[in-house]
Amino acid sequence: MNGLRGISARRVAGLQKIKPDRPRIAVGLATCGTAVGGDRVYRRLQEVIENSGDDIMLTKTGCMGYCREEPLVNVTIPGKPLVVLHGVSTDDADEIVRAVRAGKVPYDRVLCQIPSWDHMSGTTIEYGRGFDQVPPYEDVPFFSHQKKVVLRNTGFINPEDLDEYLAVGGYAAAKKALTEMTPDAVIVEVERSGLRGRGGAGFPTGLKWRIAKKETGDQKYVICNADEGDPGAYMNRNEMESDPHMLVEGMIIGAYAVGAGEGLIYLRAEYPLAIKRLELAISEARTCGLLGKDIFDTGFDFDIRIVTGAGAFVCGESTALVASIEGKTGRPHPRPPRLTDLGGGLWGRPTVLNNVETWCNVPVIIQNGGDWFAEIGTEKNTGTKVFSLVGAVDRVGLVEVPLGTSLNTIVYEIGNGGANGKNVKAVQTGGPSGGCIPTRLFDMPMDYESLNRVGSIMGSGGIVVMDEETNMVDIARYFINFATGESCGKCVPCREGLKHTLLLLNKIMAGKGKENDLETLELLADTIKKTSLCGLGQSAPNPVLTTLAYFREEYDARVRR
Amino acid sequence: MTYGEVGRRDQPEKPITILINGKKCMAREGEIVLSVALREGVAIPHLCYEASLEPYGGCRLCMVEATDHGRTSMTTACSLRATEGLEVCTDTPEVVKYRNVLFELYLAEAPKSETIKEMAARYGVTKTSFLKKIDIEDALGGKCVLCGLCVRVCTEIMGAGAINFINRGPYTVVNTPYFEANTDCLGCGACANVCPTHAIQIEDRNGERVLHSWGGIKIPLKRCSSCGKYYTPEALAVSVQNTLMPPIRSDLAGFCPACRAKKCADMEIRAHMKTEGEGNHV
Repeated sequence: MNGLRGISARRVAGLQKIKPDRPRIAVGLATCGTAVGGDRVYRRLQEVIENSGDDIMLTKTGCMGYCREEPLVNVTIPGKPLVVLHGVSTDDADEIVRAVRAGKVPYDRVLCQIPSWDHMSGTTIEYGRGFDQVPPYEDVPFFSHQKKVVLRNTGFINPEDLDEYLAVGGYAAAKKALTEMTPDAVIVEVERSGLRGRGGAGFPTGLKWRIAKKETGDQKYVICNADEGDPGAYMNRNEMESDPHMLVEGMIIGAYAVGAGEGLIYLRAEYPLAIKRLELAISEARTCGLLGKDIFDTGFDFDIRIVTGAGAFVCGESTALVASIEGKTGRPHPRPPRLTDLGGGLWGRPTVLNNVETWCNVPVIIQNGGDWFAEIGTEKNTGTKVFSLVGAVDRVGLVEVPLGTSLNTIVYEIGNGGANGKNVKAVQTGGPSGGCIPTRLFDMPMDYESLNRVGSIMGSGGIVVMDEETNMVDIARYFINFATGESCGKCVPCREGLKHTLLLLNKIMAGKGKENDLETLELLADTIKKTSLCGLGQSAPNPVLTTLAYFREEYDARVRR
Repeated sequence: MTYGEVGRRDQPEKPITILINGKKCMAREGEIVLSVALREGVAIPHLCYEASLEPYGGCRLCMVEATDHGRTSMTTACSLRATEGLEVCTDTPEVVKYRNVLFELYLAEAPKSETIKEMAARYGVTKTSFLKKIDIEDALGGKCVLCGLCVRVCTEIMGAGAINFINRGPYTVVNTPYFEANTDCLGCGACANVCPTHAIQIEDRNGERVLHSWGGIKIPLKRCSSCGKYYTPEALAVSVQNTLMPPIRSDLAGFCPACRAKKCADMEIRAHMKTEGEGNHV
């Protein structure tokens, strides 16, 4: 295997790129960074360095998740800690290069310093010491309550370079699984970790794999659900844009465990950068023999291809997603058969479908063991979860915390409360079909069961913060409008029920509602939740039901008595 | 290929007993509970179920409460499979509550459908609190409930795929692409036959079949080469002749079913008489 012999060389080369013996400037260039001018900063830095002729390495990384402070730029000077600069603009480029040339950093732009970083895959990068006046990473309130497991590489490595992923311990877990473990041992490890599906429902991943492994058949598939379509949610986008190989590695391990020969990533077409970086990652992995025939000389064949989504929210539902890949209209069908059943999956073959973040958790579980993973979070909700903290919150960004962390910690300590000094009124978790949780319940832990108990869902991990000026009836109307437009139209409660829910909410908002309209609204929302065919309809009424439960007075104020 | 067909395990024909509303019912293991209930005379309202098609789960009217191994949940009987000891209840207060709302939604969606009105009335629902859908240009006359039977029969059974769903969510309708006459249509009329609300308008007149609901498709009808009556759409005759294996004998292919039967009987009798005649000689 020529490719695999090349891996140790590439790992060394990667380390040279992450920690070169000359200064290195890395610009965070995921979609979020680019959107606020990161690419312009990159080009300006390029010009300045070329003109000055300095021996400075300029490179790209993914995103560290602190969206409010973008564009973020990392500076490493040999022997010194990695320094994160924030809010960088093109005007700062000269100053940055001048400082770096002198072995310094521009102090008015520094956010924090990172002397060493644990990539959790047996690799810790020691950058160095110094810059004592720059606050350490742990002292930045946005970061201090976070625990980066899935996002451990994002912002540190160049997502377009396999060398750097290898340098931080990448593909070591895949190698360990394929060469040292049986498929059953892999599944046992995932079961022991307690990992639950990060796509929303929280189904135990190990159990899903076990069911699929037991099935017979000539072919099995593993699929990654990357059809992230919730308004305000972009965890998966960043995971793919900033660390695409982690997903590829997770899928290799999963495919080995269940005996699948082909993997597909169902990726929404609205994520062009994620598509580009994953395509590159897959092709690099192929070149190195990490995908394709006889991976790690084990006789295991596996390859991945990307299928771009057709732009329908409902295609994130498992059966609709499979129908969409098969070229049919993305409409769900009743389960059983489940995807893991023979006859139920893609082309009738047993299929394991997991969310991006679920797959991304797999390598670290194999590398460090299920017990290590189970220590994070709570007993039944192990590991971390990445949340996108958006809306009327002061510090907007991607937040990775152990499951079971309270909403108080997330919204107030990490997010610093409402933006522009306003008071927070509620949050909506889990995307458009999540419930609105009032501040008085913010001491609840963020885990699957607690969220369900208050009428919301984990979903894929969106947290939309609403402040005191938000009208909760209007919020309910907004999300029902979204769900109505995205309903596939197959079953009557979702198709007709949501339409009438929207009509009722419009009527109430217009001040024409009567008191019995609220009863009708509640009964209708309850019916949709209980009788819809798929998860879209079953969860779509949550915004109505929770606002009726927690903010009833806002409805009452709008209906005629 | 449809779901379940490809790899469905060989169902052992093991007879089992399930309880429906307390009544002991014999079923095959894995059999669809709605089918068992209908056979046993237990009425469960339904619009999208058809035994020859895969379970669809669209109309949601066949919601029942099922208890399996101590776990109780509400689910559709058309997607529920019989297992030993399964208990099903078709009219718990919860089921009735939600089913009534569904009936109200149907009454608003298809206000012109007598079938829906009668079915809802049987369960005590005679009016709807929701705004009725009025569309004077509706090709299906305000009767369609989007159960999808016509689409599935056309695609899965006839293999024609002449009609399908258009748009999504509350804007979903069934029709031909661009609401135009579609040459894929065989004119078989299976869509109209299977439609629970009799929404699809088809008419045979002047030697052709006109599908009023489907963009006014006109399919010439074929005359029987014996009696001269119109008996089937030309396109369907061609499709059937191409699909049947072995095909209909060429000397019978142009006959209507009645004449074909007559001709076959005639040939049988002649052949028989000939043998008898020969026998007499010996």
